[in-house]
Amino acid sequence: MGAHLARRYLGDAEVEPDPLKMPTFPPDMGLPNRRPRESVATAKQLALGRVPLEQRDYCAHHLLRLMRCHRDAFPLPWLCNSLRHQWDLCQHEE
Amino acid sequence: MGTALILNTSTLLTLIIITSPLFTPLLSNTLTASPTHIVRTIKMAFMLSLLPMALFTYSGADTVTLCWEWKLITNFKIPLDFKIDQYSIMFSPIALYVTWSILQFATWYMASEPHITKFFHYLLMFLTAMMILTTANNMFLLFIGWEGVGIMSFLLIGWWFGRAEANTAALQAVLYNRIGDIGLILSMAWLATTTSTWQILPPTEPGTTPTLPLLGLILAATGKSAQFSLHPWLPAAMEGPTPVSALLHSSTMVVAGIFLLIRSHPMLTNNQTALTLCLCLGALSSLFAATCALTQNDIKKIIAFSTSSQLGLMMVTIGLNLPQLAFLHISTHAFFKAMLFLCSGSIIHSMNGEQDIRKMGNLQTALPTTTSCMTIGNLALMGTPFLAGFYSKDPIIESLNTSYLNAWALSLTLLATMFTATYTTRMTLMVQTGPTRVSPVNPTNENDPAIINSITRLAAGSMLAGLLISSFTLPIKTPPMTMPLTTKTTAIIVSILGLILALELLNISNTLTKPKQTPWANFSMTLGYFNPLTHRISSSLSLGNSQKLALSLVDLSWYKKIGPEGIASLQQTITKSSTSMHTGLIKAYLGTFALSTIILILTTTHL
Repeated sequence: MGAHLARRYLGDAEVEPDPLKMPTFPPDMGLPNRRPRESVATAKQLALGRVPLEQRDYCAHHLLRLMRCHRDAFPLPWLCNSLRHQWDLCQHEE
Repeated sequence: MGTALILNTSTLLTLIIITSPLFTPLLSNTLTASPTHIVRTIKMAFMLSLLPMALFTYSGADTVTLCWEWKLITNFKIPLDFKIDQYSIMFSPIALYVTWSILQFATWYMASEPHITKFFHYLLMFLTAMMILTTANNMFLLFIGWEGVGIMSFLLIGWWFGRAEANTAALQAVLYNRIGDIGLILSMAWLATTTSTWQILPPTEPGTTPTLPLLGLILAATGKSAQFSLHPWLPAAMEGPTPVSALLHSSTMVVAGIFLLIRSHPMLTNNQTALTLCLCLGALSSLFAATCALTQNDIKKIIAFSTSSQLGLMMVTIGLNLPQLAFLHISTHAFFKAMLFLCSGSIIHSMNGEQDIRKMGNLQTALPTTTSCMTIGNLALMGTPFLAGFYSKDPIIESLNTSYLNAWALSLTLLATMFTATYTTRMTLMVQTGPTRVSPVNPTNENDPAIINSITRLAAGSMLAGLLISSFTLPIKTPPMTMPLTTKTTAIIVSILGLILALELLNISNTLTKPKQTPWANFSMTLGYFNPLTHRISSSLSLGNSQKLALSLVDLSWYKKIGPEGIASLQQTITKSSTSMHTGLIKAYLGTFALSTIILILTTTHL
């Protein structure tokens, strides 16, 4: 969420939206020619890779690569640090 | 297929190896299990348990092993099955590593004990029960392990049974755990009647688990993991020998309650009431225990309250819906807490039994290895970056800061983190630095491989465990990646504040200012007035009421007043009033006879 705690209590809904009543927006955000977002990893790939359900989001393709790297580099997981960073960066940007 | 076979075989073999020293003396007189033999057995079991852990880390395989099924009725069967999943596979090597170090230490600590073999057997029985608890796939097997660890805790706390305080403490442990067991049995009953099985399964529709069985599970965890309201047994349990405190009351037994909540997480995850209760209870326990630890002078009690505080933090993590993070904290906490207890044991023996930190000082010159490892353990406890505690504690605080939850729980947890730094710094400074306040002649010696090897092994674990576990395992829930700088550094800022607070307070005490007795100090020293309030009220009420029931109600009323004595007293009243009429004069008797005849005639003829 990344919001300031004090702002959450002292400001009103315009400063910090109430997380229980998040505002909704139309799918094209008022911009024409906007296409719906698609996940890079397919559902079949995610199911085969046994990715946990909560992590099947728009960064899951990085996670799949990371899991494969963990398996291939087995006793040395730190060889996959760059892939881990890419996944973390994608999550941060999400 | 091969993976599953290796997993099952190695796990079952580990369990059999742990129990073998208990059975081999029964088979033959020559096959005695000496303490060193038992240490070697646990070392072997640890090495073997690394195999399933490596397999799981590589392939993510988990299995359920069904050994036997108790077919009660056609609808309800109780399988004897072991769940070899992420939690039990990771916990087994950690528990065995810690147990190995503790048992090796105990060969030195309990060397003068005449029944040392029985002591080791008790610890082995405890370990067996704990392993059954962690590998259980259903509530029945978990309950067996649960009660087993409770009983062994009782026997081990009261090891020196000639001491009245030890017996009281053991009884306290059993009673408080029993209150928690009410909750566990309640949820078992609900599971059996509603789902016809004792396996913990996710509900068929999300959000449909009623709150009552979850409250039962939370009550069970409150009792076993010494959360606020059922917590007094944990500091009292320090009456037991230090190896017992290190194994049971820091790393393994007390986390059983949290482990139960982790296992039943599929049921908890959608019930916001239960999660909020966990969060608030955990935050309160954490702060309360940290407050009590601030004014303790017994080194073991400080570490006991520290354990209670960290258990509160684990409960907070459960309330945040992050069971894997709670499990990570269990794993890292086991290393440094066990090490702190072993260091305190080494110090206590070197001080000839002195446990008061006011009578220790400047031990870093006398016991360098022990005090160095103690410092490492304290730093890990405070969440110093890149030691073991950091990898679990920091994500917990970050998740707490960035989630939509009540600020009360957040502020309590941050305050507890600050107090953690305060009391650990206070302990470190009073024990290791400053003027020497020990008595002149002491058997100060740490030059024994049993001490050095065990403590340094756990120190290595305290430094590396967090890094290793978080490198090898990927999180099941994505950790928060976006937060302002203050939120990210809250944990470390708060710990530094606590450290500064401790330094300031010790500075004040070193300049010999007159100590003030403030209400806050009194609250902390008397452990929140909780013990006298609950123990005296409950026992006086129950004893008084039972006395009234037994003596007044049953003996006096039912047996006497309603029966013979009551009738006798009624008759006495009438008799006393009519005795005055027995004067012995014939005229009076004739007159009475005449009067009653006239009344009889009048009444019958009137009709």
